[in-house]
Amino acid sequence: MEYIKYIDVTKCDGCRACMVACKNWNDLPAEFEEFHGSYQSHKKTTANTWNVLTFTEHVTADNQFEWLYRHSSCLHCTDAACEKVCPENAISYTEYGSVVINADQCVGCGYCVQNCTFDIIELATKKDENGKEYKVAQKCTLCTDRIAEGLQPACATVCHTDAIMFGEKDKMLKLASERLNQVKERYPNANIYNPPGVGGTHTVYLLAERPSVYDLPENPETSYTAKLWKDVAQPAGKLLLGASVMGVVGAYLSNRLFNKEVDESSLNEGGKDDEQK
Amino acid sequence: MMSKNNNQETVRRFSKPVIVAHWLNAFAFFALLLTALPMYTDFFNWLYPVFGGPANARLLHRIFAIMFILPTIFMILVDPKSFFHWIKQIISWKKHDFQFFAPFAKDFIGKHADVPKQDFYNAGEKLNSIVQILTTIMLIGSGIVMWGPDNFPKGLVLWAYPIHNIGVGLAATLVVGHIYLSIGHPKSKASLRGMIKGDVSLEYAKEHHGRWYDELIQQEVVQGKKGKKSKAPSNSGKNLGV
Repeated sequence: MEYIKYIDVTKCDGCRACMVACKNWNDLPAEFEEFHGSYQSHKKTTANTWNVLTFTEHVTADNQFEWLYRHSSCLHCTDAACEKVCPENAISYTEYGSVVINADQCVGCGYCVQNCTFDIIELATKKDENGKEYKVAQKCTLCTDRIAEGLQPACATVCHTDAIMFGEKDKMLKLASERLNQVKERYPNANIYNPPGVGGTHTVYLLAERPSVYDLPENPETSYTAKLWKDVAQPAGKLLLGASVMGVVGAYLSNRLFNKEVDESSLNEGGKDDEQK
Repeated sequence: MMSKNNNQETVRRFSKPVIVAHWLNAFAFFALLLTALPMYTDFFNWLYPVFGGPANARLLHRIFAIMFILPTIFMILVDPKSFFHWIKQIISWKKHDFQFFAPFAKDFIGKHADVPKQDFYNAGEKLNSIVQILTTIMLIGSGIVMWGPDNFPKGLVLWAYPIHNIGVGLAATLVVGHIYLSIGHPKSKASLRGMIKGDVSLEYAKEHHGRWYDELIQQEVVQGKKGKKSKAPSNSGKNLGV
């Protein structure tokens, strides 16, 4: 069963309880950042801050000031670039539609960080039992561990205005489109953000303004470079490599079959260790 | 004809710097290949502990990357004559170069074939050089971006990964052929001596690099059959088939 975290930004009052609940449930350390000149606490999600409430200062068409809040976290793409480029298959899809990282398989290469469509995933620095530092990619799991136990994600549970809702995919999408009709009058630019370029997401937004106003890409796509890399170049490279190895083995054998002059050839200066013998 | 024993006459083919650069490059290439192989295919994941974990493998990959870049710089500084002779040769494509491949294919599998007289570098070596230079540019260029992706625009970073991937697939494939021809293929085995000791037998030169051999005769570097071991300089002569 696929589930969706549906975020209605028009209901959000910017309390940041979702940030606290996430840290709490996932046992993530606090991260102190300098004052950035805004009410927003952190610039963006990091390996230890899996969701950030963004505060956007916005001037409306009739010259009124308003705050735009958005719960920013992993969108759990259906076609996730991070999953595609991971060389260790450490990133995978769950039956719920969430995208999760297996920390034991992750080697900390950071390919997912560079390829993430929404610039969410990052590397955490940890210490092993010998005190040696190592890197591991981390991000929101959609509280897959909670879903498996029949619970809702921590952020959805704690949200006191129901701006974060969690449930079956169809139900949530229906809720979103109904709500869109309700808010259209107040927010004429309102839209549902469930980008088809990444096959849809499992965190779906009802946005009050254009995605770009919230620093979201308007038409995000799973990068074609990732597809070229993993769907074309790598399989072709392996095929080519395998074919060339087979080619030279075949050539070696056929040389032994056809090439009768070899044994007396003076060109073989190798001497004793010659495998012609 | 020349005697068919081990005391046959030889002629210098590669200079010391060429030999040093070639083997340094070869070593770096394999070290790079091995330190990255577990990321290319899960089948080689056991290599991680061999290199002391993924982080160490990445560090080694960067050290070998520098070693991979050095030979080219070394050649340009120490022996530019050989280096530019190589470059000039591999971009010279004439009729005898294009006529190389069809008979070579027969020769490759051990059948008798009449390959037209070749330059100091035969057409196969030329093609190998050109493609290998291209893959080297791809690998080093994209590798620099992948080393510090935060210093480059995202569009460039995203392209670096597939380019690195294509580069290594092509390079490794060529290397398989290159190694086979130097140690596995009975007729071209003799060329390996040129890259180890620096010289090759005159007979090999005549048979595999006929146009170079003709130049050597013409310039009286060698005298057909008699005479002691010649001391021709590397890439003897300026206009070898160029």
